[in-house]
Amino acid sequence: MLDIAFSKPVPPKAGAVALLLAEEEALTGAAAALNEASGGAIARAIEVAAFKGQKGKTVLLFAPIEGLTRVLVVGLGKRAELTTLTVEEAGGAIAAALSQEVQATILAEGLAPSEAAHLGLGAVLRAYRFDLYRTKEKPEDKPKLTGITVQAEDHAKARAAFVPLKAVAEGIYLARDLVTEPPNVLTPTEMAERCRALTKLGVKVEIMGPKELEKLGFGALLGVSQGSVQEPRMVVMQWNGAGGRKPRKPLVFVGQGVTFDTRGISIKPASGMEDMKWDMAGAGAVVGLMAALAGRKAKADVVGLVGLVENMPSGTAQRPGDVVTSYSGQTIEVLNTDAEGRLVLADVLWYAQEKFDPAFMVNLATLTGAIIVALGQEHGGMFSNDEDLAQKLTSAGIATGEKLWRMPLGEAYDKAIKSDIADMKNIGGRHGSAIIAAQFIQRFVNSKPWAHLDIAGMAWSSKDTACVPKGATAYGVRLLDRLVRDHYEA
Amino acid sequence: MASGCSTAWCAITTRREASGDLTVLNSAEKARRGLPELQLKLSLVGITDLGPSVPLVLPVKEGAVPDALAPAARVAGFTGRPDETLLLPGDPASSHPHRELLLLGLDGQSLAEAAGARAAAALACCHEIAIDGRGLPRAVAVALALGAAGRSWRFPNYRQGPPDIDGSAMQIERISLVVDDPAHIGQRWREAVGVVEAMVFARNLIAEPANLLTPQAFIHQLGLLEAAGVAVEVIPAEALGGEGLHLLAAVGRGSVNPPALVLLHWPGRLALPPVVFVGKGMTFDTGGISIKGADRMWDMRGDMAGAAVCAGAMLALARRNSPAPVAAVLPLAENMIGGDAYRPGDVIRSHHGLTVEIVDTDAEGRLILADALSFAIARFRPRAVIDLATLTYSVAVALGREMAGLYANDTVLAAHLAAAGLAAGEPVWRLPFTDGQRDQLASDIADIKQCLNGPLLPDASLSAAFLSRFVGETPWAHIDIGGTDLRDEADERHAAGPTGFGVRLLDRLIALRYEDADHP
Repeated sequence: MLDIAFSKPVPPKAGAVALLLAEEEALTGAAAALNEASGGAIARAIEVAAFKGQKGKTVLLFAPIEGLTRVLVVGLGKRAELTTLTVEEAGGAIAAALSQEVQATILAEGLAPSEAAHLGLGAVLRAYRFDLYRTKEKPEDKPKLTGITVQAEDHAKARAAFVPLKAVAEGIYLARDLVTEPPNVLTPTEMAERCRALTKLGVKVEIMGPKELEKLGFGALLGVSQGSVQEPRMVVMQWNGAGGRKPRKPLVFVGQGVTFDTRGISIKPASGMEDMKWDMAGAGAVVGLMAALAGRKAKADVVGLVGLVENMPSGTAQRPGDVVTSYSGQTIEVLNTDAEGRLVLADVLWYAQEKFDPAFMVNLATLTGAIIVALGQEHGGMFSNDEDLAQKLTSAGIATGEKLWRMPLGEAYDKAIKSDIADMKNIGGRHGSAIIAAQFIQRFVNSKPWAHLDIAGMAWSSKDTACVPKGATAYGVRLLDRLVRDHYEA
Repeated sequence: MASGCSTAWCAITTRREASGDLTVLNSAEKARRGLPELQLKLSLVGITDLGPSVPLVLPVKEGAVPDALAPAARVAGFTGRPDETLLLPGDPASSHPHRELLLLGLDGQSLAEAAGARAAAALACCHEIAIDGRGLPRAVAVALALGAAGRSWRFPNYRQGPPDIDGSAMQIERISLVVDDPAHIGQRWREAVGVVEAMVFARNLIAEPANLLTPQAFIHQLGLLEAAGVAVEVIPAEALGGEGLHLLAAVGRGSVNPPALVLLHWPGRLALPPVVFVGKGMTFDTGGISIKGADRMWDMRGDMAGAAVCAGAMLALARRNSPAPVAAVLPLAENMIGGDAYRPGDVIRSHHGLTVEIVDTDAEGRLILADALSFAIARFRPRAVIDLATLTYSVAVALGREMAGLYANDTVLAAHLAAAGLAAGEPVWRLPFTDGQRDQLASDIADIKQCLNGPLLPDASLSAAFLSRFVGETPWAHIDIGGTDLRDEADERHAAGPTGFGVRLLDRLIALRYEDADHP
């Protein structure tokens, strides 16, 4: 991970330097001094580039001053509209633009300590790279940036503010690693082992295999898994950070973890099937969230549960038409073996509420293509039976840039999963199918406050954005960390 | 007919004659020639006005079955729950012991329309039904009649014989609401009659086959609105270019049935700028050069539902003499394949001035709406503009058949529409469109691309992002009725076929938000 340091403002002598400039503002302080040292070259470049400090715009100068390799000017937009997100995006832009440098310094005297910390977070998040399986990359193509020093007036405060953010970044890195790992490496067993590593952070980790799940009666989850030689797992991760004498009702997060989804007997067409390695992104986000919360020692009692399976077609695979009995006792007619995520969630959610009596449950799942058709790739879909929880999630989404859009639930949609033979069927036509999927999941929620986040459009990005390089986004980690931080750590 | 009754009816009056000439027939003429015509009459009557053989719907609260009928109800297991109906040969204790009675479970006002619909479904084979509204709050009684009327609609009968193939086809033509004081008509009843007429008018237009309902024939139908006090102005095909409506002209160019832009204007009484409705009026949509698959292409005769709904809403406003000035702009065209049809790759200048690169000739709705929206804004300087369109399949994937997709550049207008939708039983759900999506529509050659190509695209949001470029700062909402416009099958509550979704929503919006002179 990119090393972020904080120091008091001193004129930089070597490496690359980044300056921040808000709209309608002139170079001041250290930036003005740097401009002077460059003989006015920075100001001239700004003028030639018609750069006015707009958000997302940058100007780059090569070696304008003896000893310095590059100077990057980054726009912040209007000062009055500055948010932590804007600052993070500036940090991300710096990490991207200076990736060929080894060391960079950011002049951030104008920022508050917390903003300076978020600048560092943005840089770290953008600098993520998954390099494990590249063996022949040319050295000149590899990013070289190893450290950034943020110069801030109150650098001690900024450094302190960065500590919990770094823990969140660690959680995001973990989630991105899990989602990026190829499906032959990241099997349910392997993913469960990686969850076990959270014990080092003080998380209590319990792993259940096929024997335990059979004994519990997880018929829905086991049906999905039965076509694969890879054994299923359920992992229960508990973080008890509230420290109260009386145990509180925990916050429960549940993730769909289909480590690879061929679609089963209702097999997917070959085109784009490789993407189905990220059908465990909901589980990846829950694991990353637990790492983030434990890493920053969140003062809350939280349980994360992931159901891990591989959905394969084979002689032992589940067939369309099979009827399974879920852990809740409700029977399900499996009409499409590709609507498997909801079957996994059904058992894990029911277990979570029976076992932990949660304050609320939030589940994350790359559940439907329909949610992408509905919302595109800028909002996750949120379905909830609880106004308060929905409101808090919406706010957390706005604050972290992991935006949510509320979708409806209702009796009329529930009718679509009426089965002729069982308590319900697992699909109900294409119209409104993300809503119908949510109705299915809701049947496994026993009047607890609950939200289902359909993140099928958000788990993977096909292009670089300010703080997320192309690939696994770890969508959900920041969102839910923020939810806990803002409302449940009193 | 009883004194004080108020009647609504609406007829399909267009036929293409054997010669191919378009003829507009009035109702009497149609009857003489034996051509199909759907009528639905609503009457307010006293119990003594009721014919002896007209079946009577008797609303019953749970556990409150009248004593004389209790034994029969008990045997049949009827208790008055909201989903129950029970048909009885008659009430021996009444003055008409042989009048059929339909006991109808009823639970509060919110479900009264659904109950009325169930009653109509249960009595489908009768030509006339009556609903006993005596002793009920007027609002509940009217809602029962409204629900029954909505369920009684059916496709016009173009068969040579009667429609009743198996004895279950809907036959209801007259619905009488029995009240204690039929001379007291009241605002609520008047509005309901207007709404039913408007809804039937819109559904009839939507159901009408596209060989009969061409853009020109659609315009002929608007004579009914003109008679109701709505000014009708038509910009014909040959004048579209001169008005700068090049997108509309291009979409209509492949057909021998020329396009047109229709302006409807209800002056109201308030000295304020109008609210403007814009409705997509593709009388048929083949997809054009980017031709559709054959499966369900026949549904495309209903691709003018947005325009029909807007016209219907104008009729409802006129019938209840709304004080609010309201206009409607209806771009009408047929999207056909032809040697002169517009092509993917074409670049066309819009009325707004923005140039548009055509990607898919089957995404034609947003093109004619774009021209109509900017024309409407330039012409009327409206307080708000709301467009309705069967625009995308993607909205049906998103929200199913229950709710329409709402997109808006104005939070207050969106909130009012959501409230009106709930009040009217035509719910809308707000969905996002983003700056990012506007950016995605950047074209290599023109100001904007019409749409994107690829799998799993949020096409409904993208089309809203496209339209948003043509409305400037005017408060604007776009309602995508691509999922709510049609029902494949009838159920207890809904008739099969076009729903007319939006007529009541727009009427309620005007009533809730734009009729108060003190809060313009």
